[in-house]
Amino acid sequence: MPKLTIDGREVEVEQGTTLIEAARRLDIHIPHYCYHRGLSIAGNCRMCLVEVEGAPKMMIACHTQAADGMVVHTDNDKCREFRASILEFILVNHPLDCPVCDQAGECKLQDYYMEHGAAGSRLDEDKVKKRAKAKQIGPNIMLDTERCILCSRCVRFTDEITHTHELGITERADHSEITLADGAWLDNRYAGCVVDICPVGALTDRDFRFKCRVWYLTAVDSICTGCGRGCNIAIHVNRDRPHKAGGARVMRYKPRENPEVNQWWMCDEGRYTYKQIDHDRLTEATVEGRTATVEEALDATGAALRKAGDAVGVLVATTATNEELYLARALFAGALGGHAAYLAPPQGEADDLLILADKAPNTRGAQEILGEQAADPVAWVKEKGVKAVVVVGEAELTGLKAEVDHVAVIATHPGKATEQAHVVLPGSVHAEAEGSFTNLAGRVQRIRVAVPPIGGAVETWRLLMELGDRLGHPFDFAFEDDIFAALADQLAPFAGLSHESLGRRGAPLGSGTTQPAEVA
Amino acid sequence: MENVARKPGTVTPAGAPKRGPLSFWERIYVVEAARGVWITTVHFCRNMWRHTLHLVGLAKDKQAAVTVQYPEELRYVPPRSRTRHRIVRREDGSPRCVGCMMCETICPARCIYIVAEEDPDPNIEKRPKRFDIDLGMCVFCGFCVEACPEDAIRMDTQMVDLAAYSRNGMILTLDQLLAGEPAAPREATNALGERVHG
Amino acid sequence: MWIDVAIKVGLAMVMMLIVINIAGIHSWVERKQSAVIQDRWGANRAGFTFRAPLLRWLNPVMRPIIYLGLLQPLADLMKLVAKENWSPVGGMKWLHASAPFFYLLFAFVGFSAIPFGDTLHVAGRDISLQVAHLNVGFVFIFAMAGLGVYGIVLSGVSSNNNYAFLGAVRAASQMISYEVTLGATVIGIVMVYGSLDLQEIVRGQGALLWGWLPKWGVFVQPLGCILFFTAALAETKRIPFDLPEGESEIIGYFTEYSGTKFGMFMLADFVETVMVAALTTTLFFGGWQFPYLHASGFVFPWGAQVAVGHYGVVAIQVISFLIKVVLFCWLLMTIRWTLPRFRYDQLMDLGWKRMLPVSLANIAVTGLVILLIEAL
Repeated sequence: MPKLTIDGREVEVEQGTTLIEAARRLDIHIPHYCYHRGLSIAGNCRMCLVEVEGAPKMMIACHTQAADGMVVHTDNDKCREFRASILEFILVNHPLDCPVCDQAGECKLQDYYMEHGAAGSRLDEDKVKKRAKAKQIGPNIMLDTERCILCSRCVRFTDEITHTHELGITERADHSEITLADGAWLDNRYAGCVVDICPVGALTDRDFRFKCRVWYLTAVDSICTGCGRGCNIAIHVNRDRPHKAGGARVMRYKPRENPEVNQWWMCDEGRYTYKQIDHDRLTEATVEGRTATVEEALDATGAALRKAGDAVGVLVATTATNEELYLARALFAGALGGHAAYLAPPQGEADDLLILADKAPNTRGAQEILGEQAADPVAWVKEKGVKAVVVVGEAELTGLKAEVDHVAVIATHPGKATEQAHVVLPGSVHAEAEGSFTNLAGRVQRIRVAVPPIGGAVETWRLLMELGDRLGHPFDFAFEDDIFAALADQLAPFAGLSHESLGRRGAPLGSGTTQPAEVA
Repeated sequence: MENVARKPGTVTPAGAPKRGPLSFWERIYVVEAARGVWITTVHFCRNMWRHTLHLVGLAKDKQAAVTVQYPEELRYVPPRSRTRHRIVRREDGSPRCVGCMMCETICPARCIYIVAEEDPDPNIEKRPKRFDIDLGMCVFCGFCVEACPEDAIRMDTQMVDLAAYSRNGMILTLDQLLAGEPAAPREATNALGERVHG
Repeated sequence: MWIDVAIKVGLAMVMMLIVINIAGIHSWVERKQSAVIQDRWGANRAGFTFRAPLLRWLNPVMRPIIYLGLLQPLADLMKLVAKENWSPVGGMKWLHASAPFFYLLFAFVGFSAIPFGDTLHVAGRDISLQVAHLNVGFVFIFAMAGLGVYGIVLSGVSSNNNYAFLGAVRAASQMISYEVTLGATVIGIVMVYGSLDLQEIVRGQGALLWGWLPKWGVFVQPLGCILFFTAALAETKRIPFDLPEGESEIIGYFTEYSGTKFGMFMLADFVETVMVAALTTTLFFGGWQFPYLHASGFVFPWGAQVAVGHYGVVAIQVISFLIKVVLFCWLLMTIRWTLPRFRYDQLMDLGWKRMLPVSLANIAVTGLVILLIEAL
């Protein structure tokens, strides 16, 4: 194990660790463009040059392996001078596009220029104009070759992660530019990731283009609901400028690093599911098709459920959080003596990188908490003799209304379930409530509130608690984490877990008991 | 009221005459009050006399009131005053603004609303689809002018008479902003529209 | 019997008319006077132009009226009356609505004891030009002025607002403090003229001192006059004693009032000003007396006589009274635009530690002098 000194501090790292990673252990950030932990090392931007004592010249921190006794300086005058020079070199042909560039505000060129460069241009010649500005290279991707600093991250991504090889670098010297391969179109299922990894504004997302400035956005940790993988994401919300993008609150998803789940990536399919959050939402309750207040709707359902006695049931879609599933179970299967089952998750295509066939975020959670699946809801209702049923989420329910006296649906979007309902209650989507999902691999991960429930919608867990009040079984949970605590208390796989212990990256089922159990 | 009396040597505002302890007649206040009333009355009589003279067309050079009767009389607006905004046009008449939202970001009153869109010319790339300034909220700080990287927004129309019958009427749209022209500083005029020194 | 009632009602109407008109014009005069004092123009916009061809000729007539701001009080009135009749949430609605009535009522009632002329002989009747001929007229006026505190305290209490309540408490303590001085200063007058009846006091002022100086209160009680005027000023809560209202800064008892109810407070304030002017006139400046005017006409000290008929004498008396009242109103307003406001501790200091002892001393000295004169 080599032991080295970086900026006067000693650190011991595994054999083969690069200097940039060794510095990261010490929370020392070495500026870089081409280096990305998920990709191979290119070493072409030269931004990460550091001084290693005894070495004849500056070394690139991203490709120099730590060796025993090495003394590294990352922030002395020489390093700063080199960085300023490298930046000046990179910026020679970079256009002054910041006002129109979507990357402005999260651009590494801007950041490092302010930190290390901040010098005037010494270029007397005209800047080299590349062939095209703002060129579409894929269904969602725009390329601006003038802004490109040729770090080759995107090329390596298509080579190493998706193995689709759409991109390459052509021409020589300062005429080099990123080009699509002959006949190629950047339309692979992870193409959006090239925008995320592009350190400058060369690759931009057509969907996000010009909608909003990035400094208006607030990032909230969450989980993608596109499939059972549970990719870690940040929901970028625009809270203060409602005139942007037609009043949309959620502007985009960005993948969040989680080595256990999605590394640094997410698929385009999941990336654009954010549109569902603001699009075509249910914003008011209805009773028998007439608009009603949420209270009236809850009263109507409460009365119907009371009348049905223990012939009540709940069908929960696998889009519900663990907390909502637990409340449904505790109220219907527990307190009321009725029945609870989960609805079959929608199925789709899968691939060998991230995308799974199960297109719901919490199928594993439903399995763990409710256990029973109602593959055919109508048959299930008939079999159990249920007279009043509450459906949480979206499902194919044709014919259900004929079988029971009362159908209440807690839904977020109008759909097949709401068509079958006597009472429709507007619930919350994942961006509007705290909670947790359990991905198919059994990892419990938190979602956070990014925006308040839209219009007259109410958090789904609150609606279930209100129903409990009306049925004489009040819950005394004040917040979502209280519900999770009760869940962890009652279900073995969740034992020992809490919202706090899940943290930003989640924890596998059963992990809450492994260590403490031995101690006890 | 001896507590009002200034002790000798206490700090007085710069330029203020140093006041010693109050005399007996000052302290009983009645005389001082009467003197005050006298000053007020003299002022009243002087101004009233001048007003009366003005009515019959005399002594016009002696002011009776210092107020400017606004809609009829106008005050001088200095050339560097920050006045109503305008958006500068390119040679082809399109807005020079590229919708970078710097002004919107810097605006302390949050009175600028910009929605950007793709410009058909890839060398311009971005243009404002909507550019509204809510003058009802604007504080005329001029930060937007300072922040603009394209010199596209200026406050040199010399328009200061901004009023509307509704809040919506105070919102300037892109077209109105583009229609603004730079103007010469406004001169002071009297009720007859004649130039005066003011 | 009925004719007596009709005469009383008539007198009351005349008095009301005088008071309300003076109070109404007050608001206009206050605006314009302050403007001229402060080098401004004052109200000169309120008005309208006729568009109808038949009425266009009125426009030149309207122009000076607009220019002088004469329609401004009307515009104010329209605005106040058109405002929402609002009462504060959590306040005592009924009391809140009735407080301005109490205040205005007590401000008006006092006038019934003020004589604005001597006895009028008409159609074989003797009509005393005074609404209510009271033996204790002067005590009655002070009683009514004292009751005015009620309206203020009620407004403060019923507003459900701490600031309004504090304003009311300030107002009440101020009024009570200065009422003591007010009463004490008038004792001197009562001692000199030997009556509580205001008509008698005014008649007493018709006498001459040393054969040429009218025996007005101001000449026999100069100190009392100044003290009375100051205390009365404080009683009306006008600048420099306007702490209870503190119109724009320290907010007072009518914080929670708007519209007509607020207008009533304002009107009552003006009425009180007129009251102070009328009282000062009555007690210290001869009331309706005109120097050297007797029942038969003018008798000058140097012996010249001008005969004036009975109706002429009464008319001169009434006009003389009115002119004096208007002059005092003017003085009160000038003071308003001259002096800055007192601090509250200064206000209390002035009332209790200075004016009250001096007014008590004044009584003693007056008594001594009367005793000496009688002994001689």
